Amino acid sequence: MSCTLGEVKNRADFIIYWGGNPAECHPRHFTRYTLTPKGKFIPRGRKDRTMVLVDIRETMSAKAADIFLQVRPGKDFEMLSILRALVKGQRVSPEGVAETGLKLEQLQDLVNRMKAAKFGVLFFGMGLSMTRGKHMNSAAALTLAAELNAFTKFVAMPMRGHGNVTGADVIMRYTTSFPFGIHMGRGYPRFNPGEYSTIDLLVRGDNDATLVLGADPGATMPKPAIEHLKRTPTIVLDPKVTHTSRLSRVHITTAATGITAPGTVYRMDEIPLPLSPPLKSPYPTDEEVMRRIREAVQRKEPWYPVKSDAPQMV
Amino acid sequence: MTTSVMPEPAKRELTVVKNAVCTFCGCVCDDIELHADHERIVETKRACNLGEAWFKNHTAEHLYPDALIDGKEATVDDAIEAAADYLHAAHMPLVYGLSNTTCEAQREAVWLAELVGGVIDSHTSL
Amino acid sequence: MLRIRNGKVYDPAHNVNGEVRDVCIADGKIVADVDASARTIDATGMIVFPGGVDVHTHIGGAALNFARGLIPEQHRKATPIFHSPERRAGIIGTTPTTFATGYVYAGMGWTTANEAAVPVLSAKHTHEELHDTPIIDKTCCVLMANNELVLDLLENDEHERAKEVVAWYVWAAKAYGIKAVNPGGVAGWKWGKDCKGLSDVVPGYKKVTPSKIVAALAQIADDLKLPHPVHLHCNNLGAPGNASTTIETMKVLEGRRAHLAHLQYHAYGGDDWFTMRSAAVEIAEHFNANPNLTCDAGAVLFGNTVTVTADGPWQHLLYQLTGRKWGNLDVENETGCGVVPYVYKEKNVVNAVQWAVGLELLLLITDPWRICLTTDHPNGATFWRYPEIVQLLMSFEFRKEQLKQFPDSTLSRMVLPELTREYTLGEIATITSAGPARTLGLTQKGHLGVGADADIAIYNESTDVAKMFAHPRYVLKGGEVIVEEGELRKSGLGRQFAVKPQYDESIEDYLRPLFQQHYTMSFENYPVSCERVHGLEVQPCNYCGTPHR
Repeated sequence: MSCTLGEVKNRADFIIYWGGNPAECHPRHFTRYTLTPKGKFIPRGRKDRTMVLVDIRETMSAKAADIFLQVRPGKDFEMLSILRALVKGQRVSPEGVAETGLKLEQLQDLVNRMKAAKFGVLFFGMGLSMTRGKHMNSAAALTLAAELNAFTKFVAMPMRGHGNVTGADVIMRYTTSFPFGIHMGRGYPRFNPGEYSTIDLLVRGDNDATLVLGADPGATMPKPAIEHLKRTPTIVLDPKVTHTSRLSRVHITTAATGITAPGTVYRMDEIPLPLSPPLKSPYPTDEEVMRRIREAVQRKEPWYPVKSDAPQMV
Repeated sequence: MTTSVMPEPAKRELTVVKNAVCTFCGCVCDDIELHADHERIVETKRACNLGEAWFKNHTAEHLYPDALIDGKEATVDDAIEAAADYLHAAHMPLVYGLSNTTCEAQREAVWLAELVGGVIDSHTSL
Repeated sequence: MLRIRNGKVYDPAHNVNGEVRDVCIADGKIVADVDASARTIDATGMIVFPGGVDVHTHIGGAALNFARGLIPEQHRKATPIFHSPERRAGIIGTTPTTFATGYVYAGMGWTTANEAAVPVLSAKHTHEELHDTPIIDKTCCVLMANNELVLDLLENDEHERAKEVVAWYVWAAKAYGIKAVNPGGVAGWKWGKDCKGLSDVVPGYKKVTPSKIVAALAQIADDLKLPHPVHLHCNNLGAPGNASTTIETMKVLEGRRAHLAHLQYHAYGGDDWFTMRSAAVEIAEHFNANPNLTCDAGAVLFGNTVTVTADGPWQHLLYQLTGRKWGNLDVENETGCGVVPYVYKEKNVVNAVQWAVGLELLLLITDPWRICLTTDHPNGATFWRYPEIVQLLMSFEFRKEQLKQFPDSTLSRMVLPELTREYTLGEIATITSAGPARTLGLTQKGHLGVGADADIAIYNESTDVAKMFAHPRYVLKGGEVIVEEGELRKSGLGRQFAVKPQYDESIEDYLRPLFQQHYTMSFENYPVSCERVHGLEVQPCNYCGTPHR
């Protein structure tokens, strides 16, 4: 139950941000896509929209909201479950409501507004998807939106940060069927988040070499993971010498995406956009270096048995 | 679209890129107008504060060594060979990150992970 | 240079029906003769077909990729493709990965495919996936029947400008044709509504109706001389009693060209799910009488699949019926899409009727040139199950066997038991290659005449038809031997065909301000640039009003 951002701009009269702080993390989200622009069916822009912010603390984004609901930390899943029950007109326990830190009237009011919306949208941020409950929270948010479609039009969408992480998701899905955490060790893609996720691999010390592209785990990851990156051969491609570069065996400086390197990136709603870099880099692009590493590996003996008369890929 | 203008006689010629794409956050705004001299971006019209900082934080200068092997300066050719050696020798290499890069590089990353029989993963799994 | 010696050749475009003869190839094309130094493939005891052409499939792009993400549990059980020096890894299953798609199509002897539903906004994404779909040549159709900029023009009867806008969009997407999905209904879905009747006014409009949209787009495709007519997914898909809507649509077209996609889903009688029955007889009768029309079967086979369509409202209904997963993705100003995993079960009466209707249409439509073999992959079944359908078409006895599993109450809802027609090999070559190539207007495909692309499938002749068509002995693509001794030996990149219909450049001045209002992307960043479409070949727009044959 998702849509492109233009649908929100043109139609959404009811917008919820949950566990995100767009005012500071996605500064133009309000002005370009969701809140203030006039849309095809939203002729008066901001005046025709209602915005609700759900978060554990009153961030800068709360200033832009019509209604701010402060949920108790770690109680997002409970709150979503209560909302789902209220949407279906089911009874909810007062103790359950009390746990969320909100009043039943507030939650009922939110449900009434969601149902009364012509086109509602729920954006959920990392405050929802990366805290207690994690993907269970995301699933509950998506289900809430799906179930609201019995009453009105409602969509839900994650607020993705991190540059082109959406592109990675898209490309891994079409080449391997899976969005992330993919193991090719048997010669075909296998997916098991938790087992093949980077943090788990590094903390357990499962992998014995790492190539880091477009990220700086050395600055953000837990200590045991960083220790493992240091202990095993790590290769970094980055426009700067990063924390991770300093603990790696190989660093290659590359052109900066969109500034000195051309190519394609995906927006959070999976719309691809072409880059037009204004500057020329003295360094090669990520694409070129990755291709050359791949070609260098292709020149070596494969790790799997190959018939000697097998033809080469063209 | 790239055009060259002479803003003022005293200033250097600036490259103007209209409808440039900002890759800093997931909004990926594509209406930015960038003014750049040969080395750096000097103006970022319509970009937010995060976008402006991002655009101005990278330049076309040669500020860093082309490559490092074990902390020592090296050529890109040698570094590529060293990278390929490490990845090929590993039993279970990991290709990780894929955020701040292009789709074209991401496609290559998947291919590489396949070739070395390793794991590929992005920020999403965090 | 290559000579295929002594094969039994089926080339319906040249009335060659099983004659033993040689086929010669040079520089990727069919030629009259080659000299003695040419490599020879001895095809004695084998049959030679022009490479298969899929007129309607969903193999790449945002919607299918969305589906891939929705069903990890299905991928886990699916057949993997192992990485090797000549091929990339992948997973087949119901939504094959891009590389797997190319290998599996080619591995079955199919060498061209038409991706049938592309939003212009994400056309770049589609082209990237098609680039990574190796071996086969590709075309794609852009979704136009719910495009609000086009609907706004139709609302004001600005047909001439609508034509210009459509032409601009087609080239902006580097597409090959125009697709219409549930005209008006998807636009209505943006408000949670639908457009079921052809004369219902589209929600949000005052005058525009589905029939107006259908007529306008068919006319535009003709006026722009597009090689492929409007590719039409009619209103009311999947609903009991929808045959009347389909027949009305045929009337609305008034002799204009149109390709009716997955006709099976539009050929039901009855009033509700309890009384639903086949209306294949009525549909076929009307279809046979309208030589302006072509169609594809959209046949259903029993088993697990995932349904992916731009028809958002239908998918919401399917979600409510199944209570299973549902994914929906609306695209600003242009279209929507829905994804619902689905299992067609023998014991489900509705599914049994659907299974029968696909076959009935294939058997009741008299001219094999006008109906193409498809399953609306992955909706009715995955494309790699086509050989199973061929087997059903070629043997009345085999169909009788299959029909034994259904109770009389189910059989009474279909006409399949009475249909004794059996397809010949020549007819199979027509519905899998010659017909779809002609429907698409791809003159270099689907035949073995001099000058055609040397896309050829060679099968060991066998009575086990399903096995024979699933495993060709040789497959050639552009003269290159891709499959040899039944094994995929080579993999190259395919081409992408697009058209550049004529339009006045000044239409951009009309579109630019509208873009700023309605879209969230810069006008300049919207079109797909030629450099981004790998192997792009622009085909001429020279349809000149001659009838289909």
